[in-house]
Parts: sequence; structure tokens; C-alpha cells
Amino acid sequence: MFKGLLTTLKEWAGKPVTIQYPEEKRPVRTRFKGRHVLKRYENGLEKCIGCSLCAAACPADAIFVEAAENTDEERYSPGERYARVYEINMLRCIFCGFCEDACPTEAIVLGDNYELSFTDRHQSIYTKEMLLEPVPEGGKPTPQQTPPGVYVRAVPAMQDPQD
Amino acid sequence: MTSERKFIVPIGPQHPALKEPGHFEFTVDGEIVTDASVRLGYVHRGIEKGAEERSYIQDLYLFERICGICSHVHATAFALGVERLAGVEAPLRAQAIRSLVAEMERIHSHMLWLGVAAHEGGFDTLFMYSWRDREIVMDLLEAFTGNRVNYSVNLLGGVKCDVNESLRDQILRGMDQLEKRIQHYLNVVTTDRTFLARTEGVGRMTREQADLFGAVGPTARASGVPRDVRVDAPYAYYSTVPVRLITDERGDLLARFVVRINELFEAIRVIREILDHLPEGELTARMPRRIPAGETISRVEAPRGELFYFVKSNGGEKPERVKVRTPSLCNWGSVMQVAVGHKLADMPMILAGIDPCFSCNDRMVQLKRKDSQQWMSWEDLRQYGIEYYKKVL
Ligand code: SF4
Ligand code: SF4
Repeated sequence: MFKGLLTTLKEWAGKPVTIQYPEEKRPVRTRFKGRHVLKRYENGLEKCIGCSLCAAACPADAIFVEAAENTDEERYSPGERYARVYEINMLRCIFCGFCEDACPTEAIVLGDNYELSFTDRHQSIYTKEMLLEPVPEGGKPTPQQTPPGVYVRAVPAMQDPQD
Repeated sequence: MTSERKFIVPIGPQHPALKEPGHFEFTVDGEIVTDASVRLGYVHRGIEKGAEERSYIQDLYLFERICGICSHVHATAFALGVERLAGVEAPLRAQAIRSLVAEMERIHSHMLWLGVAAHEGGFDTLFMYSWRDREIVMDLLEAFTGNRVNYSVNLLGGVKCDVNESLRDQILRGMDQLEKRIQHYLNVVTTDRTFLARTEGVGRMTREQADLFGAVGPTARASGVPRDVRVDAPYAYYSTVPVRLITDERGDLLARFVVRINELFEAIRVIREILDHLPEGELTARMPRRIPAGETISRVEAPRGELFYFVKSNGGEKPERVKVRTPSLCNWGSVMQVAVGHKLADMPMILAGIDPCFSCNDRMVQLKRKDSQQWMSWEDLRQYGIEYYKKVL
């Protein structure tokens, strides 16, 4: 019995291992796969070019992409096309990260947000506005007016294509 | 005097032993169970059918979701099968990482079970402690792969995540911590008097019974059956780093505790050894998009026992048929026999003793009945699903 009491005393003196969740949050690791984020370039243009490769790759059919044409007056992303509609159904998504691997422009990235809850099925569909990250400092919001002939390349040249 | 009338205690489908649905019927005479039967299938999801509609890589992620606890082994088994069909062998480093994650998964699965089983036995302190210490390995898995469960480590032809120096140190440190705690649990489980009263001699399964009912995994090993796929037919990295077979002759609940806890030590040893001799090299080998036609089987040792995959390819981008047989399903037959003759109060412990996992359990079983036939075509089923959700929304 004394041995048992000793365990109790030892634990009583120690720090609690539980955390008070909504007030206190546990940091996630760098490789964590949370809610998706659609990335932008430094100048504010969207990385996503609406190619639907992610939607084709997704094992759970969670992504819906509808592309539209870019013009130099109204430019959302480099190249010819951008994603006019981009929706992810978070109830279908299994957070496997395959969309991230499939994307040619590294536009979609699984972020660190794990607080996904909704009260109704329709709320589980995250639209492009919800997924897109805010415009970085020094950038302009989309659509932008751009000089012709600059943003013709949809997929950026990568230093290391193996990466 | 035995009476003609039977008294049947139904348990479930909501949370009979674990927090998963399964339905049991125990026929009792007073307190003693005289007959037991099980009904499964409450969480059947049609994954095997769904796999036929998707490409091999998508299926890999899908099969990983068969079970939330032992997800990595499912992906490994499927990847091994497809790789064999394609005639590709994963690089050595990839194989080592597969084994490494599999052993970490085994630790987390066995510790989860230790907690659940202790909880069923009314020993909630052990439940809390073992789950607290399980966080160590869960954290490591998250740092390693990005997810606490459903790691998505495997690719066809290799793995996705690499181990670097700092991660290696983290894992080794975590293992040192865990080893101390596990030693403590082994002491508690084998010496605590009240706990022994609930486990010693309860649910005894002889070696003959285990062989007859085709028990697998730690349940079989606790009855002295030397059966472990990692030893019998080494896959991944187990031929380079062999595992020791852990068996126990007693066959009762206590033996199942002891075998699983000793397997934790063994897993820690294997993890250390793999990390010490991690081969250098590529992580993936090139896989063709179309898999050559053929059939193959692959077996791996899941935390609960032997997991079996059958993959049939017709030369296209999608598999023609994938059949999964999970270890929990094999163990039901034995536990239902063993249950007879015990008190009703022992049932949760006996059920939890095989570490049942319902989500991987509910494979399709075709019932042969003479009269009623309930067949639904794929189209009908789809339509039914759409109508159903319209009502719910
Ligand atoms: S994480 Fe996986 S399931 Fe989710 S959207 Fe991406 S590919 Fe689809
Ligand atoms: S997120 Fe990437 S893969 Fe998906 S449509 Fe946009 S550019 Fe294509």
C-alpha cells in the first residue's frame, strides 16, 4: 500500500500532462497535415493555375476545381488559366497529402490548422476565399493588372526538379 | 437441474468492450456463460469495392484508412503486393523505414490495448498511465510522418518520409523513456494482486484450440503457437534485423498481457537496431503506371496478427480485385469458444484480450440463406445512398 501511495505522491508533485485545450494549444510538428492553404507568390498572384491535377489525384474525390482564362487586365495567376472555383469538402478529405504531391506549382499545401468543425454538411465545403492565404506584404490582391508578356509561364522554373 | 428456458444477454452494438460497434449474444445459466455468438458488420464501408474504381496510388491511401490504429501495415501489405506484381523492389533504406514505422506503430497499438484492457478490468490508473506514455510514441510519429494516425509513409516503390539526425535522436530518447515505463507496467501486470485475480487462468486457450480455430498474432503466441510473419516469412527489413519470437505457454489473459508487453521491448530493440544501421540510399524506386497483369498475395504482421492481402491486376491502372483479410476476424472464432464457462463479468476482459478492432473487422461475409436474398446492384446501392442523405440533410 505504501508503494501505491508513493506513486500517488510522486505524480502529485509532478507537472500535469494534460493541457486545457481551447485556452492552451499544443504546437503541431512541421510535417503535420492540417487544413489546406492555397499559396500566393510574393507579388500576390495565386500559385494555383486551375489544372485540376489535385482533383484527379485525390483518393477521396474531395476537391472540385473549375478553371477560367486569365487576361492581362484581370490576372489571378501566371499563365493562361486560374482556378475560378476551388472547393474542398472537408468531410470527404482524408488528409493524406496527395494533392500536395500532385500540384505542379506547389499551390496547395496542408497547413497547421486542425480545428475543423461545422454544424451542417454545407459548411464543410471550404471555398477558395477560405483557403487562400492573405496577400503577403508588398503584394497586391488579385485580380491584378499586369504588363503583357511577363507572366506567360504557368509552372515556375524550379532549381531542383527532383525536389 | 438445468432448465429448458434460455436466458440470452445481448450486448452491443453500441460499445460492448471497445468503443466500436459489434453485437454479442451470451446465453447464460445464472452467471455462467454457456454459449456465445457474435454479429459483425456495423461499420462495413465497401473499401474493397471502392478500390476497384481508383488507381493503385489512390488505393494505397484508401487502404491505409481501413484501420486507424494499424494503418501502416495495411499500406505496407498493399505496396508489397503491387511491387511484387510490377517486379520492383523498394530500396533498402525505404524498407528499413517501413519496418521502423511498423514497429513504432506496434508500440502505440499495444500500449493502446494495454490501456483499454486495463480499463475493462477496472484498473483505470493503468489505463491513464499507459495512454499518457503512449503520447511519447504518438508525438514521435507525428514528427516523423506528419500525422498521429494514418501516417501515409508508404508509396508504391518506396516511402515518403526520411529520418534525419535530430529525428533519430528524438526517437532514441523517446525509446529510452518508454522502456523504463514499460518495465514498470510489466511489474504491475505480473504482481498486482487484484489485477492477477482478473487475468490469471481466465479465458485459457490451449495450443490445440489456438491451432484449431486459426488464432493469429499475440493471441496465438500467448497460447504457445510460434507464429509470426516477421519470423516465418520476413518482409521489408526483417530479414536484416530479425525479430525474436515471443511466446508464452499459459494461454490465459495474463499470458496475453505478458506477450504483448514483451513485444514492446522487442519493438524497442528493433527500432534501435534499425536506427543504428540505417542503410544509405534512395527512398523510392521507379514504379510503372500500369501494373502488369497477374495475381499475388502478401502477408505482414500487424500488431494484432497476420494481415493478408490478395491483389489481382488486369494490366491496367486500377486493380481488378483486392481482398483483405484482417487479423481480428481470425481471432473471433477462438474467443467465442473460450468465453464459454466463464462468468458474464469476465466477458469484457476476454473480448478485449484479443485486441479486437471492429473497423478492420467488418469485411464482407456472404451469408448463405435458403430463402431471403438481399442483393443490391451497385447502381441501386448508389441511388439508395443518395436518397438516404437527401433525407438526412
Ligand atoms: S489531403 Fe488527400 S483527401 Fe484531402 S484533398 Fe488532398 S488529396 Fe484529397
Ligand atoms: S492546386 Fe495545384 S494541382 Fe490543384 S488545380 Fe491548382 S495548380 Fe492544379
